Amino acid sequence: MATTSKQYKAIGEDLWKGRTEKIVRANPVLSTIFPESPHLGLTIAQNAELFTLTYGALVVQLIQDYEDYAEVNKQLEKMGYNIGTRLIEDFLAKSNIGRCADFRETGEVVAKVGFKSFLNITPTVIHSAPAVPPSNRPNSPATPSPASTANPSFSLTFDENPLTEFVELPDEALEGGLWFSNVLCGVIRGALEMIQMQVQAEFVSDVLRGDETTEMRVKLIKYLEEEVPVGED
Amino acid sequence: MRGTNSTRHCNCVFYSDWHRTKRPKLANEGGILPGVSRAMSPVPPSVDSSSNGTPFTSPRNTLASGSGVVVAVGDATSHSIAALLQTQTISTSPSPLQTSSTGLPFDEEAKLVYGVILSLRNMIKRLSGRDEQFVNYRTSAYKLHLYETMSGYKFVMLSDPLTDSLRFVLRSIHSGPFLEYVVRNPLVSMDSREKGIDNEYFRASVDRLVRGLSVFN
Repeated sequence: MATTSKQYKAIGEDLWKGRTEKIVRANPVLSTIFPESPHLGLTIAQNAELFTLTYGALVVQLIQDYEDYAEVNKQLEKMGYNIGTRLIEDFLAKSNIGRCADFRETGEVVAKVGFKSFLNITPTVIHSAPAVPPSNRPNSPATPSPASTANPSFSLTFDENPLTEFVELPDEALEGGLWFSNVLCGVIRGALEMIQMQVQAEFVSDVLRGDETTEMRVKLIKYLEEEVPVGED
Repeated sequence: MRGTNSTRHCNCVFYSDWHRTKRPKLANEGGILPGVSRAMSPVPPSVDSSSNGTPFTSPRNTLASGSGVVVAVGDATSHSIAALLQTQTISTSPSPLQTSSTGLPFDEEAKLVYGVILSLRNMIKRLSGRDEQFVNYRTSAYKLHLYETMSGYKFVMLSDPLTDSLRFVLRSIHSGPFLEYVVRNPLVSMDSREKGIDNEYFRASVDRLVRGLSVFN
């Protein structure tokens, strides 16, 4: 699996470069300033700052409007969901990646190709497929073990988060339970739902809240089956 | 019908044609979503719709949006270039035209197309497994090309039977005009049951793309 992992990293890298190349080339001013691409990083930095500031302003506005941090979390997630349903099309069109064999591979692709190509970060992935413990009670012959509803999941650990570049949370936000980057959970939920996976994504820790790491847990609820029109099959 | 947000439907959301031997009949009332194609929408009962400025006004303002919609997964986008290039096509006024040889109204044609694609796809999946994809089929009169994305969107194109596979065209429609004017446009709903993709830019760029093909005419 190590080679596939490297391949995904390479694909993510290419997509990221392709994207930024396009932005610079399409802009007549920028393309004269950066005729070759060694200083592309500079333009990215400027775009990233604008992005960070915009997101921060958005969260602040939501807090002012709703005044309830749980509600803000929900709204961020909802916005992320709408973004995700569209982002997946962009991703599929650009990356040409085929269907993933299992949820483990999905996690790898999300982290190494998805996040890399859109945000230029590569969160670390930790997979976990909970197994059913064997039932070893001698008094219960032929008890069928519970159907292994092993809901596989993976955790993404973010070493760097472009959304939170300049952010420090005030005390009320900390007490209110705000997950600042909750939009990312929505994006993942929306994107995966469009490719027939129903997942639950939530943050379990956040450096902004004083925790050690920023970690998001994505759990597969079920694979969605296609519906057939009424009256057929 | 499940309660999740992911149910997608099998309605045609876009139609455009370039050459067609015989026009299909106009769609029945309630059978076609507004904004799919001006040429195929039923004639409005009153003439009030002419008072609106844009050329793509929905003639279905009076109908309930839920009528006549078959609900299923798989958003179908149809483009047709039919065989034997003859009469000029897209008329701007939905006046009654000569009926097609099958005599089917457009919305039923669209449903037929979707049904055929779905059945063929399922059959192929059962025969060969998840990895194989139904690509195109050919009859003596036309060839139907299909490109389906992992997210369930289906792009269909009908062409002359002698054409090579136009799947790459459908792919470029997906990566080009669709991505730019539908996906990236927050005002166009990706999953609409009530409205077709009624977007001027999209229509124009698809038109441009198709007309620029070497196989076109």
